[in-house]
Amino acid sequence: MSPRRTETGGRIDRLRTIRFTFDGAPYTGHAGDTLASALLANGVTLFGRSFKYHRPRGVLSAGVEEPNALVTVLRGEVREPNIPATMVEIYDGLVAVSQNRTPSLAWDIGAINQLGGKILSAGFYYKTFMGPVIGPLKGTRFWMFCEHFIRRAAGLGKAGTAPDPERYERMNAFCDVLVVGSGPAGLMAAKAAADQGARVILADLEAHFGGSANWSGETIDGMPAADWAQRMVGQLGGNDNVRLLPRTTVWGYYDGNTLAALERVTDHKEVAAKGEPRQRYWAIRAGSVVLATGSFERPLVFPGNDRPGVMLAHAAERYANEYGVLPGQRIALFTNNDSAYRSAVALKKAGAAVVAIIDVRSDISNEMRRMASEAEAELLAGHAVVATEGGKALTGLKVQRFDAMSGSLSGDERSIHADSLLMSGGWSPTIHLASQAGAKAEWDPARQAFLPPKPTQRWIGAGAFTGSFSTAEAIAEGRAAGLQAAGGAASSAPLPIVEAVPGDPDPAPVFEIKAKGKSFVDFQHDVTAEDVRLAHREGFVSVEHLKRYTTLGMATDQGKNSNVPGLAIMAEALGKPIPEVGTTRFRPPYTAVSIGSLAAERFGDLKPERLTPMHDWHIANGARMYSAGLWYRPMIYGLAGETVEQAYVRESKATRESAGIVDVSTLGKIAVQGPDAAAFLDRVYTNMFSTLAVGKARYGLMLREDGLAFDDGTTWRLGEQEFLMTTTTANAGKVMQHLEYFLDVIWPELKVTVTSVTDEWAGAAIGGPKARVILAACVTGTAVDNATLPFMGIVHGRIAGVPVMICRLSFSGEMAFEVYSGAGYGTRVWEALIEAGKPFGLVTYGLEALGTMRIEKGHVTGAEIDGRTTARDLHLDWMLSKKKPFIGSAMMDREGLIASDRLQLVGVVALDNRPLNGGGHIVEELDEANPHDSLGHITACCYSPALGKYIALALVKGGKARHGTRAFVSDPLRNRFGPIEIVSNHFYDPDGSRMHG
Amino acid sequence: MLITCPYCGPRDVIEFTYQGDGNRERPQPASQDLDAWNAYVYDRLNPAGDHNEIWQHSGGCRAHLRVVRNTITHEILSTAFARGGHKSTENRAEGRS
Amino acid sequence: MAEPHLPERQSPLEPEHHPGSHGNFEHGVDVILSETRAGSILQLAAWPGEEKRLIEIIRKVTGLALPDGAGGGVNSGARAVFGFAPGKFTVVDEAEGLAQAFAGSITPAIGTLTDLSHGRTAIRIAGPKAEWVMAKFFAIDFALPAFPLGAGRSTNHHDIFAQIQRSGADQFDIYVFRSFARSFWKALCHASEEVGYEVQ
Repeated sequence: MSPRRTETGGRIDRLRTIRFTFDGAPYTGHAGDTLASALLANGVTLFGRSFKYHRPRGVLSAGVEEPNALVTVLRGEVREPNIPATMVEIYDGLVAVSQNRTPSLAWDIGAINQLGGKILSAGFYYKTFMGPVIGPLKGTRFWMFCEHFIRRAAGLGKAGTAPDPERYERMNAFCDVLVVGSGPAGLMAAKAAADQGARVILADLEAHFGGSANWSGETIDGMPAADWAQRMVGQLGGNDNVRLLPRTTVWGYYDGNTLAALERVTDHKEVAAKGEPRQRYWAIRAGSVVLATGSFERPLVFPGNDRPGVMLAHAAERYANEYGVLPGQRIALFTNNDSAYRSAVALKKAGAAVVAIIDVRSDISNEMRRMASEAEAELLAGHAVVATEGGKALTGLKVQRFDAMSGSLSGDERSIHADSLLMSGGWSPTIHLASQAGAKAEWDPARQAFLPPKPTQRWIGAGAFTGSFSTAEAIAEGRAAGLQAAGGAASSAPLPIVEAVPGDPDPAPVFEIKAKGKSFVDFQHDVTAEDVRLAHREGFVSVEHLKRYTTLGMATDQGKNSNVPGLAIMAEALGKPIPEVGTTRFRPPYTAVSIGSLAAERFGDLKPERLTPMHDWHIANGARMYSAGLWYRPMIYGLAGETVEQAYVRESKATRESAGIVDVSTLGKIAVQGPDAAAFLDRVYTNMFSTLAVGKARYGLMLREDGLAFDDGTTWRLGEQEFLMTTTTANAGKVMQHLEYFLDVIWPELKVTVTSVTDEWAGAAIGGPKARVILAACVTGTAVDNATLPFMGIVHGRIAGVPVMICRLSFSGEMAFEVYSGAGYGTRVWEALIEAGKPFGLVTYGLEALGTMRIEKGHVTGAEIDGRTTARDLHLDWMLSKKKPFIGSAMMDREGLIASDRLQLVGVVALDNRPLNGGGHIVEELDEANPHDSLGHITACCYSPALGKYIALALVKGGKARHGTRAFVSDPLRNRFGPIEIVSNHFYDPDGSRMHG
Repeated sequence: MLITCPYCGPRDVIEFTYQGDGNRERPQPASQDLDAWNAYVYDRLNPAGDHNEIWQHSGGCRAHLRVVRNTITHEILSTAFARGGHKSTENRAEGRS
Repeated sequence: MAEPHLPERQSPLEPEHHPGSHGNFEHGVDVILSETRAGSILQLAAWPGEEKRLIEIIRKVTGLALPDGAGGGVNSGARAVFGFAPGKFTVVDEAEGLAQAFAGSITPAIGTLTDLSHGRTAIRIAGPKAEWVMAKFFAIDFALPAFPLGAGRSTNHHDIFAQIQRSGADQFDIYVFRSFARSFWKALCHASEEVGYEVQ
């Protein structure tokens, strides 16, 4: 039998032994244990080292608020740090390690920081490391020197570097009533709402529903409260309209009654079932929410309150009643309220000796006096603990007479021998979600606590959350809340009868005992009461500033224990009442949330990607793929041993010499249909489309409302009222939205439908001197000669038996054709074209060769239409119709947009025969040490096989006026400097004789 | 945040795209009044309180909506199709709220 | 212009389409995934005020009578229709050539017809856990009272736009852009693993 395990009691399964390790040492526990309860049962007192001073720390609480006993759980190579041991359910093979200690928990070299305690006070880092650099080791430079050592010494657990192989999922849920918290209030609310026929979700962050009923020792409806809770859960579970979510932390309350929750699906399992996610992120849209989130017991602030063995009173009660574990054999309690008396009795019943109850109040009710007697504890009314003793475990404490009104200590110190000190500083309702939902909490002077605000969203509170700390109140409020949330009428049916020990819910307004020694407010961030006062002395009066300066409440527990005591100490220092100091607003998440659960399936292989109809052909034929937005496109079809440059040079050369084919299915395609389609396009494009003949295509340019260039592409007139618009791949979505906006909002009178048909059509562009003969060899049903298919003409025919639409247009500058077929026939048509091209030396080419040929031709793409350039900057002013207004026409001639010193499109040739880089600057004078006075920058570059030179497109001040002049490229990031010549952007076949044939 | 699309019912804000201040008036297409164009293209109201906005249900029916939203509380006070003519189907929207 | 002898279309799912049982199926298969490979998927749009006439044409051509209201729809097995946006309807036929059947009846005065038979891929999920798996992808309420039989919904999963019709009490047909279909299918299979799934 473990040294601290009781003979009977608790809901652990004593017949099932579970084996795990902590810091490499093997331990056993029972099914139902948390890591904290199992280690306590084994007599472990030391759980971790503190953040700043490396002080030994034990376990403070039994739940989610735990600030001290943080561990790292190892699963294979994956480390998950900073998990409260109180929230880890043990399983066979669990491996947990302690944190922030070198080399071991018991002997920690960092503990030397305790000696420098005065130096490491609030604001230490700001004072020491910020500010001007004076001397070699001061200020920011000093920080950079010290950072490495400090980062090693301070902090919490370390994240791992191994990739997380676990599965995470997102789940969307809708319900009429979401009940958060499954104590007596939550159970009653869920039951009442479910009985009304409402769709109910009941979520609790613990593994077992029941909340305080699991350990209160109370009786409900004549049975132990824990049994009553299990009966309620059984009834709820049998209900089709109820979803039970244990191990599910509701961590965010957002607008529109949308809540975020994290379900830990398999963290407690040795092995997950196939396909089972580790964690599930629930996005819950709830008609109404019942907040039955309970309350947190507060620590008291006194010297040595962080010593291992000092614990919250209810936590000890819970360990005894729920897990059958005693935190000590000789227990003392220190309280400012009645609730600790019940804990004393419970621990006595569980087999511990309760040596003393130290109460800051001098006036103790007869009922509490009776309970102290029942616990066989000496009652020290009007006393306070002023010190604790012991190293890695508590050995004793010192008390003195205390006046609760003045806070003053008097009389001699008295030592009490104890191995466990339980404290209770009153209770704070867990109002985080209500605070997140929008309104400010209100201070209640009787409860000495912030109570939930008036709802700004559709939620109803119940139980301890509202400040009603008794189970009888919780049950009544829970049922009322459940009925109200489900839209039911109030019920006068009898409520379950609760038998509980009495107690006054209001504590004495005592938060701190001022005596010599370190008194901790925020255990996890090592913030002491003196730090708070120091912050005040240094002028921090706002609670928000206090928080940031001292880091109070900014650790992973987000101040669940420290918030109210910290405020109380600040208020006293300011000489103001607590409500005037105010509280900070709680923000999501309520507890730490794994990044994996937020990323969920949008990760790795499951990231959405777009594939063209010919994708598999490209892969099978050696294409190296390139991701362009969500699309995957062939970059090159490399031969064995070829570099990327060699491949694209070969591909573009072959295209210009014979023929090449490229997959252009990714181009945005929008069907523009309806009686007003032509008129609409006239307004959308800078040039005319109403004059375009059916069966012809035209190159079009769009501007934004502000007159800058937006997108370009060809649009085909397929019928009197039917156009097929093409856009650049990258802008397809934006153009679609642009068109929809104008049709919906600006010109609703136009009868036009726009539909994305990008995916309807597979597109192959075939270009080069042999392109026409290749087409002629495989197309049936139409001729493709110059008369039938002139430049910008469209014909319909068949290839390989399937219908195709062919438009003669060119991006490469060669005679070229775009062949469109239904996407389901894309590969069939593509293969037929390849086959037909074999005798003519047809090559497949990718994005690199496509880019090379367009640079040689001086065509623009998104790199030049970059949201800053105008049509004139790009020498597209010939496309600006003067016969009609169009989107952007009014704004495009503004002074700044027609100035002569604007960046304009030019060509650039490297005179040193070395590659240029996109983003490299163009300068008049080369100054490698101190680059200055940029004339513009390179937008696209390549080796031009047609010219035999490294060339680029660039946007350069003065543009055309600089043609034929010399300048330099200055690219200090990549250390590329050298002479260039500025030329026309039309490098190759400037009169277009090749494409016009 | 949820926005009740008159066609699709209440949907997550992630399905919507903000399309700007709904108070702007576009000048007549042929207008040469640069001040009016400037106001339309660049000026935006930024009230602390109720605001007329245009949202597109881009991840749903793709209709543009005129939305009145309180910029302090994020409460959506009303939604309607920006393009008139199609009947609003508020019955269903209400039934699903 | 009928196209009677067209070859079979290539499915975008092909390399990722593995018939058989997968995932955690030892205790039974809770969803069945398939591609319906509809021959015709059309988008019909009516100008404001012309919706009733368009609905009448749909009834005449397909025999399917659209119920009133946004997102209303009906599914007869071989044919299906549902509203997905104001004045807009998706009409589906297992056979090819439905566009020709509508040709001539949808005049410029009524609205437009857009053939998306190649551009959209129809994926079907059926089984007792269909709602559960769908809820992993889409932030809409799949419960039967909120999403009645035959009804249509437009929504999205990240960048993947989807039109969904409830084609059975525990069956949904999901219409996605063809280019996204394989990616979505892979994600759907992945999400179905925990309940056990069969690909047909």
